[in-house]
Amino acid sequence: MNAPLSFQAFQFALAHHLRSTRNAGRPAGVAPRRAGIYRELVRNNLEGFLLACFPVTRTLLGPHRWQRLVNVFFRDARCHTPYFREIPREFLDWLLTTEALPVALPAWIGELAHYEWAELAVDVMETAAPQDCAADSDLLSNRPVLAPALMNLAYAWPVHRIGRDWRPRKAQATYLLVFRDAADAVQFVQLNPVSARLVALLQAEGLTGHAACLRIAGELAHPNPDALLMHGAQLLNQLRAAGAILGGTHD
Amino acid sequence: MKSAVISGAGLGFRRELIPALKAGVPDAVSFFELAPENWAGMGGSSARDLRLFTERYPFVCHGLSLNLGGPSPLDESLLQRIKSFMRQHDISLYTEHLSWCGDDGHLYELLPIPLTHDAVRWVAERIRRTQDILGMRIGVENASYYIAPPGAEMTESEFIRAVIEEADCLLHLDVNNIVVNSINHGFDADDYLHALPLERTCYIHVAGHFVEPDGLVIDTHAAAVIDPVWALLDSAYARCGNVPACLERDANFPALALLGNEVAQIASIRQRHADMFSGVSTQVAA
Repeated sequence: MNAPLSFQAFQFALAHHLRSTRNAGRPAGVAPRRAGIYRELVRNNLEGFLLACFPVTRTLLGPHRWQRLVNVFFRDARCHTPYFREIPREFLDWLLTTEALPVALPAWIGELAHYEWAELAVDVMETAAPQDCAADSDLLSNRPVLAPALMNLAYAWPVHRIGRDWRPRKAQATYLLVFRDAADAVQFVQLNPVSARLVALLQAEGLTGHAACLRIAGELAHPNPDALLMHGAQLLNQLRAAGAILGGTHD
Repeated sequence: MKSAVISGAGLGFRRELIPALKAGVPDAVSFFELAPENWAGMGGSSARDLRLFTERYPFVCHGLSLNLGGPSPLDESLLQRIKSFMRQHDISLYTEHLSWCGDDGHLYELLPIPLTHDAVRWVAERIRRTQDILGMRIGVENASYYIAPPGAEMTESEFIRAVIEEADCLLHLDVNNIVVNSINHGFDADDYLHALPLERTCYIHVAGHFVEPDGLVIDTHAAAVIDPVWALLDSAYARCGNVPACLERDANFPALALLGNEVAQIASIRQRHADMFSGVSTQVAA
């Protein structure tokens, strides 16, 4: 970029001042009261978007650590999204990738924040119209069609149980399927490692239920593939009843 | 059903208002306005709700994040998305703030542009590029501001006129912002209004604001419209012709009927001036 024009030097100086958590570096000619209004406006705006997405994270961190995090995020990170609903994603990325965070955090806080973000992300996810399928078709012999707004998430911690009254002491692998049902309400289903793998295969490769189950049987060197097929059929029907699978297609 | 042409008086389309709007849109509301940054690229129930209303009413896009006065490169992918969103919902007017909202990252707040010749050229060039991408003229809004950046080479109304002429764009006139700024910066709102290139007005904003204990006025869009703003709207309509106007209400929502009353008041001020204009033209024709 070329050297900034002189009016831009003022813009950089003012932005730098607003981002700074300390009251230093106010550009010449700017009254403290007026600069203070802008600091308050930008800070409250930003925090409002984050609070709407991360209520549990905020509660468990407590006001001091939360505000310190938000302040340092605002000072150090650069949000590039013009869309307000994506500000929480920018915060999450910063939280997950910054090595020296300004406060000590529980090991599970990043995953908890991700889980909170996933609910918002699935709620507003833009999707193509779902593939045509028959709602009542057999899900083993056909290709199951997943709800278009869906995330198949794996966590090291039981993030869905964390709350004001319970925090995990040790890690426990946790698989959660987050999706929008036919009424566009966000739903959560807990999966086990095998069922999570099954959903991943359906999502990535568009296999029939039968082919996906056999693939898994091979991966696991399962002694009894027929039993796995039976469990697989049950699971697929349960996911259909929950709204995560819309039906099946043979196209 | 709906006409794509924006006319009359409208209301800012907010998620908080949707349940009440579904129960019944006040009669005075003839269009809605939305921020594309809140609605473009959205799926799920919000998208369905929006579609329900864009099928029945014309909408205006009023942007928040384009950063027309900012130092970073113009966000052309945002503009492409706005363009397809406008096509998708049959929207024909897009306006943005004559302000900046980020350095090398977004600040998500509108900040005043220093009133210099360089800034006029910089902003006008970005508006021209925006118009090229969208394939239409856009309106730029006189913003509210709490800091008058040092080093001004012209007055704010001269700045606005220079930008609008150099960019060949339209004026989105915000009468509440003029009242807010006139109090915070000590100038006469009516004089300021009449120094603007009002002949370029495409659209008007009306809103309420908040007064801090020390008298500083904050442009919150979270209170009822006050009399000086109504009076300035009246003055504006005496000069601007029959342009549409919209009530902005972003927080602290009262019953929808009260917002409907404010929209009706906009419509009646506009209509009174429209009648006067048509009276004049009838006389001339006779």
